[in-house]
Amino acid sequence: MQIQVRLIGLFKTGRFREETRSYPAGSLVADVVSDLDLPREHLGIVLINDLHADLESPLNDGDRLTLLPLLDGG
Amino acid sequence: MIIQTTDPAANPQAISYHRCTVDLRSGKIVYADVPCRNLDDVLGGFGRSFQDLAERRIANAYCDENPLIVNTGLLTGSTAMTGLRTYFSAYSPIKGSKKGLPAAMWSTGSGKFGAKFKWTGLDELIFENRSERPVYALIEETADGPRVELKPAAHLRGLSTHDKIMALYKEYPDAHFAAIGPAGENWQNNYMGAVALSTENQLKSGEDKCRFAGRGGMGSMMGFKNVLALVARSSDKTKPLSAAVKAANINVIKGGGSARIQPLSRGGGGGTWAAYDVMQVFNAVPVNNFRPQGNALPEKLFRENVEPDYDIKSEACYRCGITCHNNISEKNPDGSRGEFLAKFDYEPLNLLGTNIGIHDAGQAARLIQLGDNYGMDSISLGVTISYVMAYNERHPEAPILNGASFGDYEKARELIIQAGEGRLPEIGRGSMRLSESLRETSYAYHVKGLEIPAYQPETNPGYAWAIAGGHMSMGTYGMLTREGKSDVDSWVKGITEEKLHIVGFDMIGLCKFFDISKGISTDMIVDCLKSEFGFEVTIDDLRRAVRRAFMRGLALELRQGYSRDEYDLPAEVYENPNPHIKLPRITTPEFMAELKKRVWAVFDKEIDAVFGSDFIRF
Ligand code: SF4
Repeated sequence: MQIQVRLIGLFKTGRFREETRSYPAGSLVADVVSDLDLPREHLGIVLINDLHADLESPLNDGDRLTLLPLLDGG
Repeated sequence: MIIQTTDPAANPQAISYHRCTVDLRSGKIVYADVPCRNLDDVLGGFGRSFQDLAERRIANAYCDENPLIVNTGLLTGSTAMTGLRTYFSAYSPIKGSKKGLPAAMWSTGSGKFGAKFKWTGLDELIFENRSERPVYALIEETADGPRVELKPAAHLRGLSTHDKIMALYKEYPDAHFAAIGPAGENWQNNYMGAVALSTENQLKSGEDKCRFAGRGGMGSMMGFKNVLALVARSSDKTKPLSAAVKAANINVIKGGGSARIQPLSRGGGGGTWAAYDVMQVFNAVPVNNFRPQGNALPEKLFRENVEPDYDIKSEACYRCGITCHNNISEKNPDGSRGEFLAKFDYEPLNLLGTNIGIHDAGQAARLIQLGDNYGMDSISLGVTISYVMAYNERHPEAPILNGASFGDYEKARELIIQAGEGRLPEIGRGSMRLSESLRETSYAYHVKGLEIPAYQPETNPGYAWAIAGGHMSMGTYGMLTREGKSDVDSWVKGITEEKLHIVGFDMIGLCKFFDISKGISTDMIVDCLKSEFGFEVTIDDLRRAVRRAFMRGLALELRQGYSRDEYDLPAEVYENPNPHIKLPRITTPEFMAELKKRVWAVFDKEIDAVFGSDFIRF
């Protein structure tokens, strides 16, 4: 299936800003995070089609997945 | 402190803290060892100072009876990482109820002053009344214990925060300093004065790299008292790290709690500045007085867009491995580091940048630097300026002040200078007073008289119950954005249970970055207290003390005349919902009404049970 992956902040560094990528049917958000070797301690927010999700959320063909770092403090 | 127990929760009175009270009118100085009333007292910071403030009935911040309390937390000056905090508490000139009574307030900052203060042997310094002449207080460690002396300070008058510190440094090269700027000196017309705290880096480099206790006008209180600076002179009490504290410190650095704050070069998240990237995904970066437009303008101040033109260096306070300061300097033509400009944290950068229509990093940095040098709270300053610009946008035919509009750097600069010099009370007294005088209050972005930080109110109904500034005394600012929580149940739980615990850091002497998500009621803190003081304290003891201190803060607000209507968000949020913010719209009047009903049901009962119904009567 095709997943449009958008990376925010430090996740972009050395990777990409936005890319459509292929994953096997039944993949979870965690599979994409592992595939891209994102540092999990920095993963703060997961959005699928602009709605909050988490690492265990399943993905469907055509989904737009946004991965954001943590947000805290001022 | 004199400690004669291992159980501070059960036997707090067996622990005394060393207090010095200075009567600025008579010059009388009294020292005392004061037994602690409870664990809140032992932990220190606002946990102690608010108990003392609660003993006074203050109707006007600028009165002799309003004390200025300078204290530290239990772990200030310890080997625990970030243990550098100093607290300033008083009834605030800027935060107050519509009834006209000032709210009790504290403000805190890092730098090395707090540790030096603690190492003199003093735990608390209270200024009573006011001095007729400008003075500074010299706090020294002596063979007979700490000694406090008042010294003439006429030569410091008019100097910037940084220049005051550097002038004193020449005289006391082994000391650290807390100083106000011209804003605090002009307390009559400037209620948002901050206190600058010196850092090692600042003293060594000569660059204006202070830290600030900014919120609530504690610098203006110092100015009112005519105390222009504090000098803490002591030897460094560095002792070897115990295994327990070492383990906690390693956990702070490597355990993930501070990961987002550490430098990018070390695999960290790059500090609070990185919030720009996250908030922008939701169109929730404040723009032009908290009206995000759904466009890419905020991206201009993304780090990746600033880095090519400016030098960014990660630096830290004394012995802190978190290294949260993103210091911005000019870049010379050969690529080397040029003149230091400012530190880029999310709040000042947004509120003196994007939120006033400034999208140029150099200009934003200059405005931050200017506000810091005059010694003003960048949050109150930025938000009051953005209010003026919003007013002028609505009234092109009759603009106020210098007619500043969004994006006008020169005029924003002019407003900061005039406010800092005490020539512009309209700005210096904050957005609540200005908006009320203009009878246009709906888009003045303050809650309970204190300007909100750079998180859109649409994302944080919890602002209403923050007791000392929007995000650092109620940790709900990420509940919608980060956690996606949009139901009333979660918000009631967040406000009344977990998220209020953020204030524990403002008791114990540590930065919130020590572990912002978990607070101080953790094994890490229990281990540090055992190792540093031999305390047998439990996580539950700590939780109870933090909660009690928070409740006291809330009860004190009620006693100062806040009505339930004032526990709310700026009216524009309801009257003109922003169509661009890409998050569930929870800040409807219905949601807020339900939230208020349920939050107060919890808090009212507890305030009554803990403090009694008489407590809140002024
Ligand atoms: S976390 Fe930042 S402000 Fe706090 S002590 Fe460390 S470097 Fe200083």
